[in-house]
Amino acid sequence: MKNRWTGGTSAAFLETGEENLAVAVHRGDPGALERLIDRYEPALYGYAHGILQNTFDAQEVVQDAMLRTHRALTRQYDEARCTALALRPWLFKMVRNLCLNKRRSKTRALETPLESFDDGRLGPFVREHGSELERQQDAQLLRDAMAGLPVEARELIVLRFMEGMSYADIAKTVGATEASLRGKVFRSLKLLRDALEGKFAAGPAPLAGARRSLNPGGNDAV
Amino acid sequence: MQCRSVLTRVDALRTGELQAEEKGAVHEHLRTCPTCDQSVGDVATLSDNIKGLLMSPPRSCRDTMADFYAQIDDVWVAFSDRGLHLIRRGSLEEFQAAHAARFCRTLKPGSLPDALRRQVDDALHGEGVRKPMVDWDDDLSPLEREVLDTLTQIPRGEVRTYEWLARQVGRPKAVRAVGSVCARNTVPFVVPCHRIVPSAGGVGHYAFGSALKREMLLREGVDVDALDTLAKNRVRFIGSRTTKIACFPTCRYARKIREENRVPFRASGEAVEKGFRPCLRCQPFAA
Repeated sequence: MKNRWTGGTSAAFLETGEENLAVAVHRGDPGALERLIDRYEPALYGYAHGILQNTFDAQEVVQDAMLRTHRALTRQYDEARCTALALRPWLFKMVRNLCLNKRRSKTRALETPLESFDDGRLGPFVREHGSELERQQDAQLLRDAMAGLPVEARELIVLRFMEGMSYADIAKTVGATEASLRGKVFRSLKLLRDALEGKFAAGPAPLAGARRSLNPGGNDAV
Repeated sequence: MQCRSVLTRVDALRTGELQAEEKGAVHEHLRTCPTCDQSVGDVATLSDNIKGLLMSPPRSCRDTMADFYAQIDDVWVAFSDRGLHLIRRGSLEEFQAAHAARFCRTLKPGSLPDALRRQVDDALHGEGVRKPMVDWDDDLSPLEREVLDTLTQIPRGEVRTYEWLARQVGRPKAVRAVGSVCARNTVPFVVPCHRIVPSAGGVGHYAFGSALKREMLLREGVDVDALDTLAKNRVRFIGSRTTKIACFPTCRYARKIREENRVPFRASGEAVEKGFRPCLRCQPFAA
């Protein structure tokens, strides 16, 4: 069976010139674990926090992921597999799975059909910044708006815009095709935009609202 | 190309992830459609602003998963706030490599707390450690845990066999498996895997060489030369003519038997045949 974590652009090509951390950890190089933590912990934590919206849980998930990573790299994978491993999406996928375990539910899919969004301008998401205060205010607004988004939208926005991941790597992480991801990112952006405009500020989560409108006679259909 | 198709692609366009063909079509549309063109800028601004939201964990794994190390005599000791983690002889590099291969913990120099230092010191000087303070690995199997616990119960100055150990943990046939657990002991000396010897006699193998195992047992007061003599005569148990009880030769009750009352046995069957029962303290064979 073809291993989908090997090959691709991520591991071997983008990180040429850089040390292959997976192999370093596998070999037990002194300080390799420290370098792995320094390099990936903030990003993984940001992702876990994006999904879970909880400091404590996110921290626990990241630590668990580190333990599992170490175990896999030193005891389960041979050197060839470590060399070919696309470490970054592999780590994110692990964190994702652990987060979903923690939530004890699958990600709610972005079920709102594409047609329910308009073709207008995507933004604007933030103002032209005049002062540092404005910038901070907008950062807080963004944070709040993101907290109210459905998990999948939040996750995609974190991966795509906070981490700056390529569509190829996101596809590996969340298990979707790049084409479908483009649509999902578009929907996520629209939802974020709506959240920022305060459309759903006090109301139900956007998805719940969308679902209800799809099935108006929900209560009668018993 | 329509607005919808373009809007789903402006983000990929930003990072140059579109195929040349698509790219051309998107650019063409953007020239004629101002709202889509604005969207390109929107996504770019969002991307810039959202990066600032990235937060770091309140407490890094580097701190929660930190081990420290120190040297005592010629051994290296790794420890956490919960106890001893790893004890090894050899060079610092070998020690660090062994630690990295075994534990998902960072490692930096530190000073060993007195309680732990005393334990390692006692272990090295043959004093024995009654209740070792060890930070046991979470992924030890139940068998491993039980074997290591049983090891700590072997009294100083005595030895037991691998066969005995397997019997004590309730897996009498798992002699080899039990031997591997001893070999993987991360805290030798303190958890006395050196007190386990082959049933056939002699001191047997040791991670740091048989000579050191001999030396360790000598320091603890085991008469190693006598063990060798017994092994040469293939004697495995010693019985007392007066009490009809058979022991391991190093059991403190066996050592008390007077010379004229000592009965050597080469096998447990031989002892049973002659009406001897196993000692309750050292349990040399199954009753």
